[in-house]
Amino acid sequence: MSQLAPEITDVHAIVDEVWRSFLGEAEPLLARPVPAGTPFDSAAVWSASVSVTGGWQGTVTVEVDERVAAELTRQMLGVPDTADEDVADAVGELVNMVGGNVKSLMPGPSTLSLPSVAAGRAAFASESVEVARLDALWAGQPVRVTVHTAAQ
Amino acid sequence: MTMARESFQMVSSLVRRETSMVYDEGKEYLVEARLLPLAVAAGCTVDEYCRKLSIDFAERRKALDALTINETSWFRDQGPYQAFTDTMLPALLQARSTTRRLRIWSAACSSGQEAYSIAMLLDQHLPAGWSAEILATDVSTAMLARVKTGRYSQVEMNRGMPATSLVRYFTRVGSEWEIVPKLKAMVTTRHLNLSAPYLGVPTFDLVLLRNVLIYFDKTTKADILRRMLSHVASDGYLLLGSSESTLDLPPDLAPRWRREQIGRVQAHRPTGVPAPRPSPASSLVPTGA
Amino acid sequence: MRAMIIDDSRAMRSILRRILAGLDFETAEAGHGQEALDQMTAGPVPDLCLVDWNMPVMDGYTFISTVRRNAEWRNVTLMMVTTESEHTQIVRALAAGAHEYVIKPFTPDAIVDKLELLGLVSKGALA
Repeated sequence: MSQLAPEITDVHAIVDEVWRSFLGEAEPLLARPVPAGTPFDSAAVWSASVSVTGGWQGTVTVEVDERVAAELTRQMLGVPDTADEDVADAVGELVNMVGGNVKSLMPGPSTLSLPSVAAGRAAFASESVEVARLDALWAGQPVRVTVHTAAQ
Repeated sequence: MTMARESFQMVSSLVRRETSMVYDEGKEYLVEARLLPLAVAAGCTVDEYCRKLSIDFAERRKALDALTINETSWFRDQGPYQAFTDTMLPALLQARSTTRRLRIWSAACSSGQEAYSIAMLLDQHLPAGWSAEILATDVSTAMLARVKTGRYSQVEMNRGMPATSLVRYFTRVGSEWEIVPKLKAMVTTRHLNLSAPYLGVPTFDLVLLRNVLIYFDKTTKADILRRMLSHVASDGYLLLGSSESTLDLPPDLAPRWRREQIGRVQAHRPTGVPAPRPSPASSLVPTGA
Repeated sequence: MRAMIIDDSRAMRSILRRILAGLDFETAEAGHGQEALDQMTAGPVPDLCLVDWNMPVMDGYTFISTVRRNAEWRNVTLMMVTTESEHTQIVRALAAGAHEYVIKPFTPDAIVDKLELLGLVSKGALA
């Protein structure tokens, strides 16, 4: 059964715009093919997700290697050193931007939740289905954005 | 692979001279990232491509476009658009009251923000029963295709577009925004190289030739301004970029254009003075009779 | 000029604070709409508010509607800076009294462009 899903090219465009806006163009975000079902290949991970409820129901999740998270935090906060709470804040804002834009691709009206952030891999509910996934490398480190909806 | 130091210095001084944008040392990676796709398309390395820029004006234009990519915004500089709405348009509405038709040319339209910015103003200010035609030309066919599609990314939409116009004139298509059909219908695209003859190009009430002369050498600049005289109506306007309005005109052209201050911008307007006749000197040579 | 940045993310407030500081704004910050209203009631009224939409306690839409109902704050310029990017949401925000709208993500130029449109900074302020 097919699930209502955002186009992967649109998800890519959104993530790319977020990256370029806040991390500059020095280091591009490079998409890479990763087979479905492959766990996020990073030893130390930050993950964050937002849920969309209303005309479309789904969850948007961002997972990044901790080095990517730290650099993102430094760039956004404009400080050389970052504490965990800073990283949680920056990664949360990252998923808020990606999630809000993904929401706008889907039928509405819907509301966006506040982000939830964790140090560690994302956990997905067993009844949810992955409907879009973008795997990329930034400065050689993995970045993953996934979109899930509830199974029908 | 890193670009040679001389290549970077050449490009950064070109960009600084032509656009006042500054690429400091250390920004080699950025210049290289922007030029690499163009070099690949031209079938050469970035360094070879940089050498090409000193002789090839079309490539220079593309390179400067790529290096100044963030400089495109809606209602860029505001002043020209304010002057259009406050002064030029009311004057043209009086002057064209019998034909009730306006013709505008966005020469070197790039991705189309200028043409569509004007289209939005015309939609708001043109009285009922009037029509307007905007010709958008560019040397890049890729740019013309973008203008025709009329789709812009979120980041592009954020640049200078008033929110009220965004909701009025754009619809969301995937992650992009698309201009509404009624404004698209006002804009016609056409491939044109400004330094080649303007075949079949009519006369316009307003020609926008902004921030493009900077890409040409002195002789070509004068030549373009000379040929523009046939394409600006006798009571029409030519708008150059703010840094270009003070260009020194060659002696034959100086009496044929006059500058008029309109609000914060200077418009060039034809004076109606005819072109000097070619070399009457021979008839003055004493015949010895 | 005085600006208040209202966003639940400190990282986002930091980005906006640096842009506004470069434009010679004095800035204050709040993590949600209610905190911003409390500060505006107690202290100096800002000339400009940059307002996120989705925040805990009081969201930006409610904040804007509340500010617009108070005549004392009629001179405050309100600009949404949010990831909410549906056509309908922008229309709603404008109808509630927002003067401008910036969609996240944005570049510093986008903020400057919009503040120029609003007449709050003069052309080329960042140059």
